[in-house]
Amino acid sequence: MKVLVAIKRVIDPYVKIRVKQDHSGVETQNVKMAMNPFDEIAVEEAIRLKEKGLVEEVIVVSIGDKSVQETLRTGLALGADSAIHVETDQLFSSLLIAKILKQMVQKTGSQLIILGKQAIDSDNAQTGSMLAALLEWPLASFASKIMLQGDKCQVTCEVDGGLQTVELTLPAVITTDLRLNTPRYASLPNIMKAKTKPLTVIPFNSFDISPNMDMHTIDVSPPPVRKAGIKVASVQELVEKLRHEAKVLL
Amino acid sequence: MNTETIAEELSSLVGNKNILIDYDSRMIYAKDRTQNLIPDPSLIVFPRSESQIISIVQWANHTRTALVPSGGRTGYSGGAVAQSKEVVVSFDKMNHILAYNSEDQTVRCQPGVITKNLQNFALENNLYYPVDFASSGSSQIGGNIATNAGGIKVIRYGLTRNWVYGLNVVTGNGDLLHLNKGLIKNASGYDLRHLFIGSEGTLGIITEAIIKLSTLPSESKVALLGVQEKNTMVEILNIYRKDLQVTAFEFFSEAALKHVMCESNISHPFKRAMPFYILLEYESSEFNDEVFLGLTESCINSSSINDAIISQNMAQYKYLWSLRENISMSLSKYLPYKYDISVMPSKIPVFIEEIEDLLNKTYPDFEIIWFGHIGDGNLHLNILKPVELKGSEFFEICDEMSDAIYSLVNYYNGSISAEHGIGLLKKKFLRYTKNDVEIGYMREIKKIFDKNNIMNPGKIFDDS
Repeated sequence: MKVLVAIKRVIDPYVKIRVKQDHSGVETQNVKMAMNPFDEIAVEEAIRLKEKGLVEEVIVVSIGDKSVQETLRTGLALGADSAIHVETDQLFSSLLIAKILKQMVQKTGSQLIILGKQAIDSDNAQTGSMLAALLEWPLASFASKIMLQGDKCQVTCEVDGGLQTVELTLPAVITTDLRLNTPRYASLPNIMKAKTKPLTVIPFNSFDISPNMDMHTIDVSPPPVRKAGIKVASVQELVEKLRHEAKVLL
Repeated sequence: MNTETIAEELSSLVGNKNILIDYDSRMIYAKDRTQNLIPDPSLIVFPRSESQIISIVQWANHTRTALVPSGGRTGYSGGAVAQSKEVVVSFDKMNHILAYNSEDQTVRCQPGVITKNLQNFALENNLYYPVDFASSGSSQIGGNIATNAGGIKVIRYGLTRNWVYGLNVVTGNGDLLHLNKGLIKNASGYDLRHLFIGSEGTLGIITEAIIKLSTLPSESKVALLGVQEKNTMVEILNIYRKDLQVTAFEFFSEAALKHVMCESNISHPFKRAMPFYILLEYESSEFNDEVFLGLTESCINSSSINDAIISQNMAQYKYLWSLRENISMSLSKYLPYKYDISVMPSKIPVFIEEIEDLLNKTYPDFEIIWFGHIGDGNLHLNILKPVELKGSEFFEICDEMSDAIYSLVNYYNGSISAEHGIGLLKKKFLRYTKNDVEIGYMREIKKIFDKNNIMNPGKIFDDS
């Protein structure tokens, strides 16, 4: 069985985000990029399934400009078998991404799709569920535990106020949450091996999908600057201010 | 003079808000990170300006009161410990960056500026203050200068000394000196600035420093290398250094890693444990990454390195560094006896072997933790106190052990203190690094700057 893992290249979560001068987006020039952390968890989970002998092949796929190949190589270094780069310079909405992924699922003949529950840049958390809907496959989102047995898959999902365990029949889509696993480190022998693993480039225009944007970014603005704190002279003054200015005390 | 009188007289100089006299403050401010010294200062004074420092030093000369300058108190040799009713001079309230000169890429700062704040200030101006170590969030620049602090980037950027371009000092005699004034070149006789750097507060008080900043390095990557034999480490360093800009080359043992994993509750970074690890940081670029991978692959093929992991993002970069930086903290609960010794890097393999032989033969029950800066020839050897021994008994045995270890240091022309300083803890061993004639000259130098011996007396060497 083949597992397809979709990964996105995002700004490294440790980098301080700066909005572009013209408010058209955030600054990505000369900014450190990394694999979306939730996708890293997805890759790790797929590799663990393979190490347990439950799946035969792990394919990573990413959509974007040439630079995503670096992120794909990281996926290969972690243990994926092959990579597919869907090449485009455009930034697509979740729905367009889901449409592309649907075709990739069909092209590769994958039976299980694992994706991060959301990308830390756009924070939409839509691609996984849209993909499941387009494929008309069952979906388990925000997974914190995955148990695969034959064509049945038991998934523990993080829901508001607790955990929900569901059973899916493959083929299926799973999105990963933070507690699913701790991704491994790329070891040097694996980084070297990754260099020779197959990485296929497919231009976006070879897909039968209209690149028409269904979503436009109008404006990106930084959050308001936090007001500086003040020092109070006494506890009384503090209580006074909390009551009358901050209005957090009755 | 009793404490009340001292408090009264100092209040008239700095105001009573700038004096602390309560028991808790005295226990905190008169102590560094050494664990077996009991502080007993008379009080703590917080000057707010150079002129207040001058008046404090003049007052101390009149009254023959000993002063102990105290920075972030992150030292490991008791240099900032007050044990005999001294007045502790803290620079917590002189913590301002006074001026930034973008043309010369220098900053003028007060002694109490926290090292991390200086690093951040540099970054805000797209520059870099490269002296860095685990305690940079607490240590102060004045203390860094007084101990010539080293740390984890010495291999690339050198010690604190390299970045001090000017110093204002008030000598023990109460004179204000403006040393070197930020100049790059200055061949005008003795450079007294360098005497104050590393003087451990025994010659005077640093009141202001002009610090040179560096250009920002390119993004760096860090790798953790697992090695079987510690005597190959210097060889490995030289392999990398030939073709790469190595910015850190640190080593630690599996025993050290185990303590960090236990303290921070994290799992092992490798599938299979190795006796020793090297944390290597280099300046990354597409080209350098290829060079790094190539060198590492050939080291693995020749079996000098067993396994390697490489940071793929900033979280992993920070995590790998934390394995090294959290060692000291994770050991502190065992009351470790800390060695901070150095030899020429090329001597490290044979030096480590001889020390291990010695310890295994004489003290087979002690747990030994190795870590340090291989590229600088600097080893931090920590001996952990066995639970069944009392602290005092343990330190007594360690002093005996020190004579044996320092004899080896002496044999290899090394130093008994690479970067922690002599302070109180190591003065009885100073003779293993410096002979009597040299120590005699040091004493004479102190007398010139501090006639009445009020500046941190009893540190580095006993009062004569």
